This record gives sequence, C-alpha cells and structure tokens, in this order.
Amino acid sequence: MATDETQRTEAFPSGIVSVGLSEVKRQIPSDEPPPLPPNAELAVIGKPTARQNGRAKVTGAIRFTVDISLPNMLHGGILRSPLPHAAVAAIDVVAAALVPGVRAILPIATPDAILRYVGAPVAAVAADSPAAAEEALRLIRVDYKPLPFVADLDVARNPASPPVHDSASAPAGDAHGFPAPAGLPLHGNVRGPATVTRGVISQGLAEADIVVEGEYRTAVQTHCCLEPHAIVADWRTDGLTVYMSTQFTAGVRHELAAAFDLPLSRVRVIVDGMGGGFGSKSSLGNYGRFAVALSRQAQAPVRLVLDREEEQMDAGNRPGTWQQLRVGAKRDGTLTAISVLSYGTAGVAVGAGVGSFAEALYACPNFESAQYDVFINAGPGCAMRGPGNVQGAFALEQAIDELAGRLSIDPLALRDRIDPSPVRREERRIGADRIGWHRRRASGADAGPVKRGLGVAQSLWGANVQINASCEVRVMRDGSVEVLSSVQDIGTGIGTVLAQVVAEVLGLRPEAITVRIGDTEFPAGPPSYGSRTTASITPPARTAAWRVLQALCREAAPVLNAAPEQLAARDGKIVVLGDPGRGMKFADAAARLRTDWISAVASRSDDYGGFRRRIGDAAIALQDLGGVQFAEVAVDTETGIIRVERVVAVQDCGRPMNPRQIESQVQGGVLMGISFALFEERIIDQNSGRMVNPNLEQYKLLGARETPEIEVAVLENYQGQSATDAYGIAEPSNIATAPAIANAVYNAIGVRLRTTPMTPAAVLAALGKIPARS
Amino acid sequence: MNRFAWVNARTIEEASAAVSATVADAMTELAGNAAAGDTAVLKAGGVDVLDLLKEGLLAPARIVSLRGIPGLDAVVEEAGGGLRIGSMATLSRLADHPVVRRRYPALSEAVRASASPQIRNVATLGGNLLQRPRCWYFRAHEYHCLRKGGGHCFAIAGENQYHAIFDNRPCAIVHPSTAATALVALGATVELADAQGAVRQVLLEDFFGPPDRDLQRENDLKPREVLTAIRLPALPAGTHMAHLKQGEKDSFDWPLADVAVVLELSPDGSCRKAALVLGTAAPVPHRAKQAEGLLAGKHIGEDLAREAGRAALEGATPLAKNAYKLPLFETLVRRAILKAALG
Amino acid sequence: MLNPDDSGSRERGISRRTFLRSAVGTTMVDAASGFLDDAKAAEGSGVPVAVAGPEPVPVTLKVNGVERTLRLEPRVTLAEALRGPLGLTGTKIGCNRGACSACTVWIDGVTVCSCMILAIDIGARSVTTIEGLAQGETLHPVQAAFIEHDALQCGYCTPGLVMSCAALLRNRPDPAAEEVRAAISGHYCRCGTYPHVVAATLTAAKARQA
Repeated sequence: MATDETQRTEAFPSGIVSVGLSEVKRQIPSDEPPPLPPNAELAVIGKPTARQNGRAKVTGAIRFTVDISLPNMLHGGILRSPLPHAAVAAIDVVAAALVPGVRAILPIATPDAILRYVGAPVAAVAADSPAAAEEALRLIRVDYKPLPFVADLDVARNPASPPVHDSASAPAGDAHGFPAPAGLPLHGNVRGPATVTRGVISQGLAEADIVVEGEYRTAVQTHCCLEPHAIVADWRTDGLTVYMSTQFTAGVRHELAAAFDLPLSRVRVIVDGMGGGFGSKSSLGNYGRFAVALSRQAQAPVRLVLDREEEQMDAGNRPGTWQQLRVGAKRDGTLTAISVLSYGTAGVAVGAGVGSFAEALYACPNFESAQYDVFINAGPGCAMRGPGNVQGAFALEQAIDELAGRLSIDPLALRDRIDPSPVRREERRIGADRIGWHRRRASGADAGPVKRGLGVAQSLWGANVQINASCEVRVMRDGSVEVLSSVQDIGTGIGTVLAQVVAEVLGLRPEAITVRIGDTEFPAGPPSYGSRTTASITPPARTAAWRVLQALCREAAPVLNAAPEQLAARDGKIVVLGDPGRGMKFADAAARLRTDWISAVASRSDDYGGFRRRIGDAAIALQDLGGVQFAEVAVDTETGIIRVERVVAVQDCGRPMNPRQIESQVQGGVLMGISFALFEERIIDQNSGRMVNPNLEQYKLLGARETPEIEVAVLENYQGQSATDAYGIAEPSNIATAPAIANAVYNAIGVRLRTTPMTPAAVLAALGKIPARS
Repeated sequence: MNRFAWVNARTIEEASAAVSATVADAMTELAGNAAAGDTAVLKAGGVDVLDLLKEGLLAPARIVSLRGIPGLDAVVEEAGGGLRIGSMATLSRLADHPVVRRRYPALSEAVRASASPQIRNVATLGGNLLQRPRCWYFRAHEYHCLRKGGGHCFAIAGENQYHAIFDNRPCAIVHPSTAATALVALGATVELADAQGAVRQVLLEDFFGPPDRDLQRENDLKPREVLTAIRLPALPAGTHMAHLKQGEKDSFDWPLADVAVVLELSPDGSCRKAALVLGTAAPVPHRAKQAEGLLAGKHIGEDLAREAGRAALEGATPLAKNAYKLPLFETLVRRAILKAALG
Repeated sequence: MLNPDDSGSRERGISRRTFLRSAVGTTMVDAASGFLDDAKAAEGSGVPVAVAGPEPVPVTLKVNGVERTLRLEPRVTLAEALRGPLGLTGTKIGCNRGACSACTVWIDGVTVCSCMILAIDIGARSVTTIEGLAQGETLHPVQAAFIEHDALQCGYCTPGLVMSCAALLRNRPDPAAEEVRAAISGHYCRCGTYPHVVAATLTAAKARQA
C-alpha cells in the first residue's frame, strides 16, 4: 500500500509481554490516534476498573426489558404446539376474542400450516392483563392433525425416519457458511455434508504409526439466560419504538425495518439492563415479530415475555452432536492425519456443525471433515457461546489426550510439538506452573474410592470484528464527557471499557465519563456476539475521543501559549508536553468552547495489518485467540460423582482492557463449560417428542457448590492492529473447559468419558459398575 | 393459574371444616375433567401447592391456609423423651433445632439436604411429607398419567433415569420427601385431625402407600383431615444414626438416592436393631428389611456394611435408564451404616 | 362447602388449648391478618371463617418499612405484587418456580422466593426488597462489596444474590466460604459470578466487623 496523506506509518508494540516485546510498523489512517503504549504505561486501560453500572445493578435500580412498563401497555402471550409434528386442520379464535380485555389476536399457524416441534408458535394474543391473555390463549381452539415425528439424532439419520422438512421448508443455509452453508443436499433428514479437505487423508493415515479413533457425543444445551427473552413493542403512527433484551440493537432495528416495511429512521431499539444472551438474543426472533404485530394491531404498547418453559423449548439451544474422530501420528507425535465426521442436530434448524476447530488448531498436513445437519422435531438451535467449537473441542482435545497417552508423551509436550501457536505455548507454560502439572500422575493412581486427576485442553476462536461500528464522544462546556453508541452491555461491561478508553485519552477518571449506550438513537454499534464487541467498538471510541481532544486542545492552545500538537491530557488537565508545570484544568479548557458541546464520531477502521477475511459488516482478524485450560477433578468411583476442584484458565484477548471484568467473564466461561460437561442436557421423551425438563429444576445447571477454585491468567498480546489492539474473551473462555475436565477424569480413573453430560450414571457405566439388567 | 378464593383458617377445626379434598383428589378430579366446582384444598407453606397451581394441575375454588393457626408450628419435647413437631414447622427451623440436631441428627441432615435455603424457610414438614411426586410426566399436564387417573405410566417406557428401582409398576414415581426417609427410619408417627376433633395417630411408614394400594394417592390422608404433627419416639440409649443424600449436585437438586440408617447398638458394640430406609428408590420410603435383618446381632464393620448394601438392593427391578442407582445405593447404604456406627 | 357447625367445640384429641400451650417459645403467628377486614369471627363462635376473593381483595403489605394496601386477587404472588402495583422491579422473576432464587426477598429478615408465596399469605410480616437494603445513599456492605469484587455481570440475578448474602451476614457475621456457598446454593447465575459473590460476601463480613 502506497503512503499518501491519508496514511501514516507508526511503530506499535508487538508480541506477548511475558515473552518479550518488539515493534511492528503499521500504516494507519492519518486521522487515527498514535499507537497505544503497553498497559504498564497507561493510567486507566488495563487497570481493574469498577463496573460503571454496578451501583444500579446491586440496588436493583437498573431497568431490564421485563421491567419496562408503558402507559396503557398490553400483555402478550403465545399459544404453542403441544405436538412435535402436526398439521393445523382448523383454528378458531372466536371464543378467545370475546374474553374481556383481549385487544389483539395474531394468527400464526394458519390452516394447513405444519408445526414441527413442541413449542412452535400457533397464535399470539395481547390483552389488558397477563391473566386475560392467558385465558384467551386457553380458549383458542386448534384442531391438530398429528404427523409422524422423530426426536432423536440417531433415529433421524435413518432414511426411513419420518421427514421433518420438505424441500420447501428446509432451511436454506447461508451463502457465507454460517451457521451452515447454502446449497447442500438433503437426503431424508440428513443435510450435507459440508466438507473441508487438506492433503490426502488416506495417505496421512497410512503414514501414521498410531491412529486413535473415537466416537463422541455432546448433549443439547440450552442458554438459560436468567432474564427471559422479552420485548416491549410500541407501534405508533410516527414510528416504532422497541425495548428488547437483545445482543444487537442496531441489527434488530434493521430486521424490524425490513419485516414491517419501515424506514430505518422510524425504528428505534433500546436496551439498558440486559439479563444474559449467550447467543440466543442475537436477532429479532419470532416472538419479537409477534409483539410488534400485536402492537400494530392493538395500537397500544405490548410487552411479551417468554416463560421458562418457552425459553427451554423455543428460544434456541446449543445443537447436540455425534462425532467420529480419527487422528494419526508418528511415534514422535508429529500429526499425519485428522479426520472428523459429525452429525449434529439443531432441531428444525441448521447449524449443528462442530466448527473449524480440528482444521485449525494443530499443524497437520492431511485433514478432512464432513459435517452433517440432521433435522429432528425439536426447537431450533442457534449460536451459543463458542458455537461449534465447544462441541468440536470436546472431541478433538480428548483425541489428542488419548494420542499422548498412546505415545507415552506428556500431553503438554505433545502439544509443544504439534501446536504452532506461540500464544498457546506461553499459555501452556503459565498454566502448567499454576496448576502444578508436575503433580500429574498415572491414571488411577489413588488407592481409595475417590480418585483425583489433572487434565489440559486447548482452545481457539476467531478474533472477530464488526466494521460497521461507530461511537461518538462529546465534551460539554462544563467539562463533562459523554460516550455514545448503540452498542449494548449484555453483562460483559462494555460500557465500563468505553469509559476507560475515553478517560485514558482525555486524562480523566473513568467514573467521570457518562456512558450512553443501548439505544439506536446513538451511532450504530456492533453486536454483542461472536466475542467482537470490545474489538469493534473500543478503537472508534479511542479515535473519537482523540479527535475531540484535538479540538479541545485547539481551544486551549492560545491560553497555554503553545501549539495544539504540543498539548496532552492527563490527570484532569491539559498540559504542555515537556513542561508539566504549564497546563490548565480539563474543565477550564472545556469552558472555552464556542458551543455547548463538541463532538466527534468515529467508525471502526480495518485492522491495520489487514483482515484474514471480510464478510459484509463482519471481519476476522489475522490471528486467532488462543486459550489453554487445566482442570483438577475428584471422581468418586463408588457414586460416579465428578467434582471439579480447580481450574486454571489462561487466555489471550489481545490487549486486556479491564482485568477485573475479564476475570469475571473467564470465570463465567469456565463455569458454563463445567455445567456443560457435567450437568446440562435437554431431555426429550421419545414417545411424545416433548422436552421433559423444560424448567430450571430438572434441567440442571451448575450452582455455587459445584464452583471450583478458578484461577484466571490473561496474556498481554500486542499486534498493532487497531487503536486499542483489543479483542474478545467471552467465547474463547468457554471452549477448553469440558475437554480439560474429561481429560482430568481419564487421568483420575483411567476410563474415558466421551459423552456429555458426564453424569454419575455415565461414570458408573464406564467403570463397569452397573449390573446387567435381569 | 386459575382464580381461587382464600380462607385463612384460625383453628384446625376451621381448616378441617373448610377443606373438601386432598390435593391429590383435587388433582385427579381436575385431570379427569370434572368441574372444579367447589373444591377446597389445604395449603401449608404453599411451595408445592403453588407449583401445582402454576402448572395448571390443581385448580381449586378455595385454598385454605393453615399458616394462621396458632401453635401449629410448635416443636415440643414430650414427656418420655419423644419430640412432637407441629406440621407447620419450617424445614429450616428443624434443620437448626437444637433438640433435632442432638437427638435426631439423621432428620436434621435430611432436612438440611432438602431444596434451597429459600424453600426451606417457607416449606413446612407437613407440606414436605404431603408433596406430590416430582415425576416429570406427572408434573406436566400434557401427560394424563396413571397417577392423575389416566391409563398409562409414561416413565416406564420413557425417560426414567430419576425413577423408582423398587415397586415401580404400574407407576414408577419415587417419593419426593427426603425428610420422610429419615422419619420412617426413626419410626415417626403422624397425627391427623378431622373436623370432628378426632385425632388418629399413624405410623408414617403405614401412612405412605405404594401404587398397588392406591394409584392416585401417596398416603392415607383423608379429604377433611389436617396433618397436625409428626411425632418422633424416644430413642433408647445406644442409638446411632445417619442420613446420606447424593444428588448430581450439592447445590439445590433432588437426590438421585438417599439413605437413612438408625442403629441401636448394645454396650458390647453389636447391633441390637437396625432401621434402614432408602429414599428416592420407590414410590414410598423403602424399608430394606433384608439388610436390617442382616445387621441385627452383629458387630458393624466394613464387610458387614458392604454385605448390607448388597442385601438392601435385593429384589430391585431397575428400569432402562436407572440401573446406575443400584451401585449408588449400595455405596450410600454402606457409607451410612459406617457413618452411623462409627461416626 | 363450609359448614359452620364443624368449626365448633366438639370433643377432640388435641385441643386448641394444647396447641397454644405447646407454642410457648415458638414464633406466634397472628391469625388476624390485616386483609380480612371482615374476619371478626370469635374463636368457637360458630361463625364461618371468612372467605376472601377470588375477586380482588384488600391486601396490606409492609414493604421496606412502608405499609400499602392493594387490591389483589388471592392468586397474585408476592413477586407479582412487588413488581406490578408496588413498582419495585428490582426483584426479578427468573423461573417463576422457586428454582433460581432470582426473586429472593426477606420476610421478617428471612430469605424466601417471592415467586412461590402469595401476597395474601404475607399477613403482618415485613417484606424487605433490594430497594430497601441500602440506607439512603449508603449501600449495604454486601452491595458495596459486590461492586468492588465485580460480583455481577448481567445483573439480573444480582438483587436476589445480594439479599441472600446480606441475610447470611445477619445470622453469621463471620461466615466461612462454604457457608456463603450454602447460603447461595439455591441461586442460579448463568454469567457465573459465584466466585466473586463469595469473595464479596467475605469482604463485606470483614467490613461490617471493622
């Protein structure tokens, strides 16, 4: 790229701090700020910083969507299919319409419509009270014609199983391949394969001294956000305002404009408190559409909140998988072949693949994967924290552990040999030290019934970026500062990070920055999925703050008798560089503004070194995010109970912005991983096709007493790629946990558990302790 | 939830007069599409009743609250060394009650292992004993199962991982009360009062009934009876006991298996008498009589405890997905015996 | 059907007097809760016990020290009454079945799931919600420690967790970590804040003792 006045060259810190820093030269847009030094040289960024909305959250003052109440607001409800597969023969809403207080009825499944899962929406109503809505739903008469169904992955693979979809109803897939590629063949309920081939797998297997083969299964996991999916839709003649528990305000705005044929300028989406998404609140969703349609029909605001059973049945899930892996290696550990065959099910939806994890994690010349989606009559899956990779890692990282055992090579030493990533190499070193890897013994070394073991597993996740991400920074005449974007805080604390970034630039404390986010009235921010929020919105925040500071310095320069470029902001002052005695208070400089405020809006530029891939508004950075986790477990071989006693999680997220929030998120990722490994399973009764545990009682989640000691270590890894060089942490922290536990269990008892959840029943069965049935 | 009227009973007689059906009968009636009519049911702490109401499994015209009846939550030491626990005493109060902890530790352990702190603060011992089973087919109105008056048990050929391994035909529920496991082992009786003021005392073990006695009721509560108290007998010197619960989780979770052991040891250390009860194993707390017999007259040790564990599972008829409970129960029985005998 | 005759004074095994006597030393519960305006029947008078509802009836709730009389159907839960007519939305409903404890409030200082108790069943007891925990602008030590330790992420389960941890410290001023875990063992936090919640509560305990 030729240098011109729109570009300039800068030297950035580069490398992993604990390994040693060097410099990398980058051409950057000339209107972007100079390189950000390493965290050690910064005042606010990289320092543990209290959550900006912490007080609102601990006092209950923050408003979640379920808390929004508008004047004359109606309450919505959805009638759902009790059957896994049925045709609607007739639907009668007359009695429902006569219920006092009913204001709108929305037919969803019209006669002849096919319902493909228990919980599929049939009709929706809005009424003055939740009770009236409930009564109206009860009175809608639907004549269902039951159809044969299939609710099990293995059964659905059989060509003779009842077809879930026809060619018209089968999801088309996506041109960009996520969650599933378009244009794949459908045979019966099996769609695919999506294939990747590198080298020649048969040759790789032939060259191998050892081949490990295994079958793995992961259960369907549901998101279980504590705040249910919720929306308050307020349709008015001059436009639509929607309050929604969403991971992407700007995206929902687009979806609403398209679905209801409205100009973007007439659609506003707002979220303040947002009670967890984990991938399940990425888009408008069917319920969102229903709420808006009800509001339009009733000409009144409508609140629609899913109950927990609806959450479990029709709010998304992590698809279940069956995987067969073959890994070939030379005696020295060098990989010669990796083959992945997977059949997954996202219910009636697609996207049950196991990602590119096995393709990308290790250097292996011969690779092939064939991934199939299998349709069953169950609620649609969707992205969930580390989609595909969580399932893929559970299999691959166990296969690698098994290979290490077969080769009599330490699992870490084997990875040193086959893993080209310098990031994970350093993470292995740090983690091994923290967990005390030297204590690891041969399998089953404990004499008593309770056996302990250590395990390790690795992760990789793409460093995602949203290009369409903008941020505004305003400095007011009284010296107060606002940062504005439609980006939403789903619990990750992005508002706090934005305050830190702006405070760092303006020489202020983060508490002094007013954060206004979660509203499409502000510059369009990125989604909070794909672990891309921080990577996408912190660079424009810094750039906007830097630009607004330049404007402020222009006002201050004459007073300080200096050129604007000689000025800097620090410790609440505008100071003259090299002459620390000369300066003025930030607020005094602001007081000189000619207008009530000055403002700058900046957008995400491309990564300075370029992207690996760009798809529409989204892009993938050159370097993946690596992670390594170590688990220590105790297995009671007489009860089958596995307890995770300790986890060490070492993670890369580029530049760590707020270590305290990062620690929280990594702990959360680890705990969700333990929960996935040991407890969680959507259980469908095969005779009725209905989920039998659609609640939070029999759908089991990890609780406080299953929470081990978790030690989090985060690399400082600079690459000179953006104004902040920060990337994501949420999903990467959830990927390595389950296989690390499985490997630790193997180390403890000498038996490998290849299925989630690893229940007492599974452990006792694996140990051969369950008597054959008489 | 349907609408209902509220009756705040001030005396047992009022409560008994106001109630028309047990929760079980009211549920069976509703599931059979009988008009809800004038059904009135009792509510103690209300946790289970509210759960059933919210699921649409119970839709009475009136709910009669026992909470306003003075003294119904009293825990009183009785002359002769027994303990009388008012049915409205909360689980958390029992878990922490000094007499219960000292003299009936198996009960305090069982109660402490139940539910969550919040639930224990509201749930009463009476309500706990009378709660309906947790079977996920029974708890979903979509399944008109045997226990609701239907013609089919969905668990036997379905998802039965949390179901019974004993007496599991034609209905495979497990009794949901963890406290009951300990109480049956302790030889507790229940006190039942009716509107006429008559009181009957029934051994808790006999109060509970298996499906072959009554498919729609887990116990012998009569429609207008009020469970007023649970009485624990005085225990002879040398009584040792333990209760062990194993859930998939230690946080709020239902047990996969729980076991109560009460041993009467002679001064010479041999076992004079043993009561051994398996919870979460059968439609009622399951007395392992064969194992009890095995312990009698012998010195408790590792081998005997192991043997008793095996004997306790004799006759089990596990279903397709719950055979794991056999080794689990064997372990818990052995550990509970050793814990009781040796501390 | 109610039968007035059945509430009379016939022979019975356990008399009411026995109950009153046996209640000595236990918490006495006032039977005449405020909501039954017409509940004036004397003991053993043969007057039928009052029936309230199913239509809305006056229910007086003492919440955060303030008494308010609402008109509620008997089927309204405490959580619904708090979040609806009382506007105290800090109390959250997560599962509506007592399985997640997001709705935790105090009744007479004791934690309960407000989704699993009817508003009409509260009677004269005092309800404390998350809104009533801080003293004016001064946060409860548990609240302050939650912020300090970042013991929250999305914040939805946070009010319930704060109520449980604060209740624990009333009874156990210096708890062990395992006691904190036990106290919050009914709570679900899908963001996984348990480690920081435990650390925050231990810090708050120290702060209270200092």
